Amino acid sequence: MAHQAHAYHMVDPSPWPLTGAIAALLMTSGLAIWFHFHSTMLMTLGLVLTLLTMYQWWRDIIREGTFQGHHTPPVQKGLRYGMILFITSEVFFFLGFFWAFYHSSLAPTPELGGCWPPTGIIPLDPFEVPLLNTAVLLASGVTVTWAHHSIMEGERKQTIQSLALTILLGFYFTALQAMEYYEAPFTIADGVYGSTFFVATGFHGLHVIIGSTFLAVCLLRQIQYHFTSEHHFGFEAAAWYWHFVDVVWLFLYVSIYWWGS
Amino acid sequence: KVYLFNVKDSCRVQSSGLKGTVPSQAPPIIFAVPTKVVSETGSVAHYMGINKVPELQMIFQKTDGAPVHLKRGVMDKMLYRTMMGLTIGGTLYCLMALYIVAQPRKPQ
Repeated sequence: MAHQAHAYHMVDPSPWPLTGAIAALLMTSGLAIWFHFHSTMLMTLGLVLTLLTMYQWWRDIIREGTFQGHHTPPVQKGLRYGMILFITSEVFFFLGFFWAFYHSSLAPTPELGGCWPPTGIIPLDPFEVPLLNTAVLLASGVTVTWAHHSIMEGERKQTIQSLALTILLGFYFTALQAMEYYEAPFTIADGVYGSTFFVATGFHGLHVIIGSTFLAVCLLRQIQYHFTSEHHFGFEAAAWYWHFVDVVWLFLYVSIYWWGS
Repeated sequence: KVYLFNVKDSCRVQSSGLKGTVPSQAPPIIFAVPTKVVSETGSVAHYMGINKVPELQMIFQKTDGAPVHLKRGVMDKMLYRTMMGLTIGGTLYCLMALYIVAQPRKPQ
């Protein structure tokens, strides 16, 4: 086998981009079929293919990095840039929803009663569960930093414990939010208040679930000795994503929950 | 120095730790195999499983020409074939479904 004379990673041919693209086609067409013809078969198939593609694609990245040693410093640098760019794109995604919120709330129309919150809307008390949620996410930011320092210092047990605690805090947040959603006195259909509230907090909640899953995968990898004290980019990427989720919540809390009440 | 409690008093209090209950010398081992001292297990204590990464590195670095998504043999092959089957089948199903729903409805 010829050995490469450079530090970069020439990836093996892979079927996952194709299966991922087909999965997206099946999910979107399936959505349309479900809306108009009441059949969920195509959409479910698309969802299954998406999940299988994600599992195998990321499994292969772990194989390439941890088991085959392809993630040299220049390659890792590229992965870092990639993650930073991805998180930046997500920031812009949320910026849109904040724009929508401020557009409607800074100049409330006569149809809303000329005030914010609109007439008839009973907002959630920002100093009850939302404040607890803020504390939970801030605490999880501390525990994930603790986990990072533990990895860098080679403390296996502490890493596992602090990472597990971070994930538990993430689940606690999700559970609290789910309860809040259930108990809320307004719905997504309650005018622009309902729309901006549930779309912004809903997408945030989805990102908390994604972040928790990413951290859980890191926990499994940590238990299986994939990370070294010098090289643990997968964990760092998860921690960056988690901090991003935390910061988005702080903006949501201050804007929608607190100022918006 | 600052102590959390009066050191002299703690000697009399049971809740100050194992002081009163644990004998200062280990009892003689009668039946059990002596437990290995941590320093004898090697440099890393086995908390939550042993390290299988070197073994996996050997498997994945075998020069058998297999691409990374098939490197582990039969399981990988089965999963890949299932995926491609679903992908191709799904594509055909999707195209058929879209063709059917794109037909104009019969006039009533």
